Amino acid sequence: MNRNLFYYLMTPLLLVASLLQSTAATRLQVGGVKPDLVLLLVICGTLIYGSRAGIVWAFIGGLTLDIFSGGPMGGSSLALMVAVYVIGLGQRTLSRFNVLVPLGAAMLGTLLYGVTYVMILSWVESTAQFLALANAGNARYNLAFWPTLQFIILPALFYNTMLMLIVTPLLNRMPERPEAINA
Amino acid sequence: MRNLEKRPRRVDDLGIRIVILALAALLLMALQLTGHLRPLQSAITLLTSPAQLSATGITENITNVIDYFAELRNLRQRNAELEQLNSSLLAEKLSLREVEHENELLREFFKFAKNRPGLELRGAQIIGLAIGDESTNFLRRIIVDLGQIHGVKVGMPVITDQGLVGRVSEVNDSISKVLLLTDATSAVNAVLQKSRLNGVVRGTASGDLLMDFIDQGVKFNVGEPVLTSGLGGRFPKGLPIGEVIEIRRRDIDFSQQAVVRPTVDFKRLELVAVVTNFNPVEEVPELLVINPQTSTITATNTISVTDPSLNTGQVTNTTVLTNVGPLDLAAPLTTPVESAP
Repeated sequence: MNRNLFYYLMTPLLLVASLLQSTAATRLQVGGVKPDLVLLLVICGTLIYGSRAGIVWAFIGGLTLDIFSGGPMGGSSLALMVAVYVIGLGQRTLSRFNVLVPLGAAMLGTLLYGVTYVMILSWVESTAQFLALANAGNARYNLAFWPTLQFIILPALFYNTMLMLIVTPLLNRMPERPEAINA
Repeated sequence: MRNLEKRPRRVDDLGIRIVILALAALLLMALQLTGHLRPLQSAITLLTSPAQLSATGITENITNVIDYFAELRNLRQRNAELEQLNSSLLAEKLSLREVEHENELLREFFKFAKNRPGLELRGAQIIGLAIGDESTNFLRRIIVDLGQIHGVKVGMPVITDQGLVGRVSEVNDSISKVLLLTDATSAVNAVLQKSRLNGVVRGTASGDLLMDFIDQGVKFNVGEPVLTSGLGGRFPKGLPIGEVIEIRRRDIDFSQQAVVRPTVDFKRLELVAVVTNFNPVEEVPELLVINPQTSTITATNTISVTDPSLNTGQVTNTTVLTNVGPLDLAAPLTTPVESAP
């Protein structure tokens, strides 16, 4: 695939991925969890184009996710941005052509995204309750951390890693990023 | 030389981006929580809901297609399973039909046996039908799955609910061979039920039954039942053999003949019974063939004439009958004899 084409297609792809995640991904549930298509797409983009581009896609992807979800607007964006930032740190030093890098990125990204998102949800609820904000009554986001980790994050981690394993050959067909785009 | 000039921060910098985007996210969260984002959210939802619906529809269709193919695979498997089940059920049905048929036959047997309390019947499933053997095609025998271990002996009558089938001609441990009535070597003393005429029913090469040695001059009718007479002690009395379908009566003949249609359908023999409590007087195989040695019968007839007007004379005629082949007592008068002057 043309590298530049993929770069410009990322935003529409994120929209489609968000749409699919709110529709088709439900059909792909395994063990009660569905794949994080947006997260995987953002991770792929970050591995190819670096964290600077990845952060933007994380924000956009998060927003699209939040549009189609009942979570707080911007919460997914923040969680994705955390994941992308950490992945971006490794992306500078590790070659994505090593199969363990995309797999590790998927694992780490899922874990960070999940944990961050749970924390954001918890924080949003407590803040809303504390400030007695307008929508505080609807902000029921406080999830028990360990059960969430055990039954949602870790299975999702496994699922996403498996999907990344499938995607990796496609990812490896992308050439290294040219400095023009990175600049 | 190291460039000590401080590079101005740009929006392109990762840190700046993170800060800006994070603040934007937090702002959005705050706006949402305070309810200020509701109109925007409604507008976005209005815009995106058709896409979502379409995506759901497409997903549904794709899922249906996938399900269809998955179902197709399952259907094939299910079809194979059902076919297997169908085959086994079919086999079971056939088996049950056989059981039903056998049950019917046994019921008929039971009725038959009930009417003849003197007979002890031992049912046998025919395991083979032999028409002829290696040496001759004229023999008509069947093999039944009852043998010596079941108490079957040579000469025992074999019957069905329809009537007499024949008699056991050979017994092995677990199987027996039965000489059918229709066998050309078979002969059974019989009686016409209404006219009470005796005769001998024997098989013919054509497979028909012929009742021979019926007294000449006595009338009987077509359709008259033919039963075993019990004479000779080979068969119990009163077993149905058949009915007369044709009468052959010629004045020049010593006796009348009747073509008998057997009551038993020999082409459809399935279940037969061996009458085990009947001890035949003669054992069939041994008696079927008498001493093969040539026997000679010499008869002398002397006629004396005494007439006063004539000379007294005497004529003597000697006739020698020589048996040149095995004499089958079961088929009397059919054994060729040679007359020697």
